[in-house]
Amino acid sequence: MSARAIVGGILTSGAILGIATGVGVAAHPSVSVGVGTTGTIGTGASSGSSSGSSGSGSTSGSSGSGADGSYTGQSVNTPFGSVQVQVTVSGGKIADVTALHLTDADGRSRQISDYAAPILHDEVLSAQSANVQMVGGATYTSEGYLMSLQSALDQAGL
Amino acid sequence: MRTAFETMGTVVSVATDADVSPRVLDAVRQVFAEYDETFSLYRPESPLSALARGELTLEAAPAVVRDEYARALEWRTRTHGWFTPHRPDGVIDLSGSIKAVATDAARGLLEQAGVCGLLGAGGDIMAFGEGVHPVGIVDPRDRARLLADLGLPAGRAIATSGSAERGDHIWSRLGTTDVLQASVIADDIVTADVLATALVAAGSSALDDLLAAFDVDALIVTREGLLATRHWPVREPAVPA
Repeated sequence: MSARAIVGGILTSGAILGIATGVGVAAHPSVSVGVGTTGTIGTGASSGSSSGSSGSGSTSGSSGSGADGSYTGQSVNTPFGSVQVQVTVSGGKIADVTALHLTDADGRSRQISDYAAPILHDEVLSAQSANVQMVGGATYTSEGYLMSLQSALDQAGL
Repeated sequence: MRTAFETMGTVVSVATDADVSPRVLDAVRQVFAEYDETFSLYRPESPLSALARGELTLEAAPAVVRDEYARALEWRTRTHGWFTPHRPDGVIDLSGSIKAVATDAARGLLEQAGVCGLLGAGGDIMAFGEGVHPVGIVDPRDRARLLADLGLPAGRAIATSGSAERGDHIWSRLGTTDVLQASVIADDIVTADVLATALVAAGSSALDDLLAAFDVDALIVTREGLLATRHWPVREPAVPA
């Protein structure tokens, strides 16, 4: 599989893109701005669409498919500001994903947080209640427990 | 094996890979009961209640009370005051940390019994023994749904605090926080619990200050969306070939 296909696949499939600097998304897809297709966070995000153009149409620094280099995505609006990411491909694999821009609602550039970055829910977090053995949540009283998912789990005795 | 019992104003759930003897389960219950008897402000006879009424001084209080109060004060410092062991009226209230302390002690008993699994108390969970155990986090915007699920490795804990439910140990500026819920994964449940509480109280503008000082993972629900630390354990996305 070519690197271009990987990059395009990620961009067009709405999979997560890490934007914390220095974190390779291929190895650690645990980071954090979703540039997705669903638009559940994006407000009028025209890029990151499902057309496939976001991967190929906005790349720069590379003329050939799968070639090493940097690929720049289009800017995407999120409630936390506009985000633009750059994917670095090396040896046919994604070596790095960095945030090029993060601006707040007023258009000012903002340093992306090193500690907590926005994520797109549907793309990043799996949530299959059938698979969990215990459910965490904000502290519940013993009364609240009766209506909780945890209560259902305990009663199911699974 | 799975069981649940009521204690400390909430419910403790135990899920293990093998049966736990009634003797061990009794000891687990006893641990929670003893912390409750000492620290509950709902029990008029507890030392904490006596402290609150001014009938007992810290000097005369049981050593465990002084120790836990000192620990909580350290946490207040480490969280820049966002976690506090005092009620707004000044009464010492250790309910924000003592449930986690009790959970940690009970976890030790289960580990000694040689079983693996999960111990949950009021929505905070520890994994113990060996292996990775699947847990979920409730979506604060729809409590019938999960916000996320993840594998919690043995030796790790996840705690969740919210501004929407109960919140009786989150006093600070609750009316103004923009954090609906904060979940923290740490190596021990007290750290996770205290930081989750502090993150909710502090609001999103203070997240970096809090998270920079601790080696933890956090998933935060704000009014605007979700925030996660870079190593929050998400699943590998399926990348098309």
